[in-house]
Amino acid sequence: MVDAARHPNIELLTYTEVKRVEGFIGNFKVLVEQKPRYVIADLCTGCGDCAPVCPIEVANEFEEGIAPRKAIYIPHSQASPLLYTIDLDNCIKCYKCVDACGTLDAIDFGQQPKQTWLDVGSIVVATGFDSFDPTPLEEYGYGHYGNVITTLELERINNSAGPTGGRIMRPSDGKMPESVAFVQCVGSRDERFQIYCSGFCCMYTIKNAIQWKLEHPDTDITIFYMDIRTPAKGYEEFYRRAREMGIRFIQGRPSRITQDEQTGNLFIQAEDQSLGRVIELESELVVLSTAAVPRADAEDVGSILNISRSPSGFFMEYHPKLRPVDSPTDGVFLAGAAQGPKDIPSSVAQGAGAAARAARILRSDTWEIEPIVAVVWEDRCVMAQGKKCGICATKCPYNAIITQEGIAASVTAAKCHGCGGCVAECPHNAITQMHFTDAQIFAQLRALLAKEPEKKILAFMCHWCSYGGADTAGTSHFEYPASSRGIRVMCSARMDQDFVFEAFRLGAGMVLVSGCHPQDCHYITGQQVGAERFERLAKRLENMGISPDRFRVEWISAAEGGKYARVIREMDETLKALDPEALKEEIERVRPELEKRLRRITEIPDVAEALEAIVSV
Amino acid sequence: MQALSNRTSGFKDEVIAEPGGENLMRCYSCGTCMAACLVRRQDPDYNPRRILHMAILGMRQEVLQSHLIWMCSACDECYPHCPQHIHISDLFKAFRTLAEREGHLPSGPAAQVNERTCVACGLCVEVCPYDAVQLVQRRVLGHEKMVAEVNAVLCMRCGVCAASCRSASIDVPEDSDQKLLEQIQAELQALEVAA
Repeated sequence: MVDAARHPNIELLTYTEVKRVEGFIGNFKVLVEQKPRYVIADLCTGCGDCAPVCPIEVANEFEEGIAPRKAIYIPHSQASPLLYTIDLDNCIKCYKCVDACGTLDAIDFGQQPKQTWLDVGSIVVATGFDSFDPTPLEEYGYGHYGNVITTLELERINNSAGPTGGRIMRPSDGKMPESVAFVQCVGSRDERFQIYCSGFCCMYTIKNAIQWKLEHPDTDITIFYMDIRTPAKGYEEFYRRAREMGIRFIQGRPSRITQDEQTGNLFIQAEDQSLGRVIELESELVVLSTAAVPRADAEDVGSILNISRSPSGFFMEYHPKLRPVDSPTDGVFLAGAAQGPKDIPSSVAQGAGAAARAARILRSDTWEIEPIVAVVWEDRCVMAQGKKCGICATKCPYNAIITQEGIAASVTAAKCHGCGGCVAECPHNAITQMHFTDAQIFAQLRALLAKEPEKKILAFMCHWCSYGGADTAGTSHFEYPASSRGIRVMCSARMDQDFVFEAFRLGAGMVLVSGCHPQDCHYITGQQVGAERFERLAKRLENMGISPDRFRVEWISAAEGGKYARVIREMDETLKALDPEALKEEIERVRPELEKRLRRITEIPDVAEALEAIVSV
Repeated sequence: MQALSNRTSGFKDEVIAEPGGENLMRCYSCGTCMAACLVRRQDPDYNPRRILHMAILGMRQEVLQSHLIWMCSACDECYPHCPQHIHISDLFKAFRTLAEREGHLPSGPAAQVNERTCVACGLCVEVCPYDAVQLVQRRVLGHEKMVAEVNAVLCMRCGVCAASCRSASIDVPEDSDQKLLEQIQAELQALEVAA
């Protein structure tokens, strides 16, 4: 921290909140609000004369509430910058600190929040994690039994700079415990709370146990675990060392902890699975290894930065294997436990990775993007005619479209990733996607359905998943019938319902729309935009009189070659069972309706016109 | 040695298909249920975790023929503590239904109704936590009348019906009023002797 504060190229803004982020990769504008410390940063020397005279004592957040702090305080002794802050919620304004500060005159109760716009090229999110509060796990009695504590509380008690000066004592009577039990997986791997494994708790518990055993070899130490996870370099050796030192490991998750009122000792009930027996262990202190959970304000931070979160609540990386440091928004990177529970080496590695990724942007004058961005035909956008619309902006997963009444929608090319959701959703065909224009796709499907369309299955596939799935089916030699014809688009969001109408108008036997599974979507919510549309479309087709068998929606990942082949086989069997003449008749019956819906297609520009529009951009 | 190659791999699917058996595969054998179980205090052989594990391994006959699956009293002490949120007594209900279908019935008899004295007030139907009692029409002593009927598979022999029946017409034979009273008297006598 001190190194960072001293570095000439680092400006440290503490006690500051990010309020808004605008712009795009390389050109972000960030509104930050500096909260008032009521202490003038330039004048405070951090001498500490003010705190002792303050009459207020409140729980110290840094010490996990087991020690007090004053209403004028520094978060902890190594805080950087070393500046006092007045906690106005608890201050009674006795002004004793002002007297103590004396001639330095660093205290100013008139300070106001200060907002500043910053120009930045890239953003690294390293907001960390919160520790799970085990109070809801009533069976462990945290909050009721004084001697049931969390690991973070133990860390403070065991710290030489902590409130006890590093002397381990238990809360109920200040006695040095002669026996201690650690309980693993408190709140993690638990369907009621967090279903994931927090990953680093096994190691820090073993660390605490070894540290304790080194200082006090006579202490009886037991660790209750479900599985010990020591997958990284040197970790298993560390676990072996703990066993060799005589630390007891019991495989079994405790069902209940009870307390002896007189002694304050705790009784832990668990099944020792190796024995197949339930055991009861008396211990003077119980330490709960609590889950790492997302920060309470992760949702706010996510919406300010427009980055999505995984089902667990941690920030989502762009790709779990290939881009683990990038967020889905270009120019925003993730580091440490904000992206998922992580130990220190992994956090440091990811932090260094994020810094390097961010620096690449700062060093570049230009930035290459994929050429498949969306483009607006301004003369067609009804927003320009003063009408209300803005559907494109609501469907964009990247906030790349700016809409304003009276002005045509505009796409920020640097933010657009080219899913094509806006293109398919625009009711006025006022947006197109470069290299995936309506004209290009209509040309493809017209060519594919030129001969014997009633015997064909027209499959729309998304680039990342189902096209990959079809590829896997091919490379793995999974056989499927030759009746299918595929059209690749970037995302299921791009699959316009007009494509399906046109396919049926041309007499297609069947239409398949396929894309990623929702959690795999490469465009954050692109799949969702598509899925919602197909649900409506399926009903609409049925109402029109097209038999539901002829339209199918499937989510197929790039690894599911077998599934792709199976879906095509099933569709082919269904198609063969149908009478081709009946299929044709069905199309003839709904033709007027289809043509009504496709009336706009004649207006769709040909390839040349689309190119012209793009060049003019 | 247990030869796992003989296992019935479809058994887990059978259990999952049975109402109550849906969450079988979530179990990761942490042992919380066993540590919380009240029944195992009476019988150390009883281990819900082990029975679930046997089911996951597909040890079909061993599970269905075991007398242990009939021992769960559905007190649900384990359920609120289970980190995988598995309703274990429901799982046991699924095991029992499957066992009954194969003709394996519990050793101890279920609650029994004295149809002569039953007045079909329906109180037992209401209090039964397992929906094991219902009212049916029967011919008793030459008369058609409504009486309570117990489903032996669903009945957990908890005795709530016996304790609440106003005409003493329903009882769990192994823990009948008479047997319990005798036990209490014996205990009291022992206390008196000790005093």
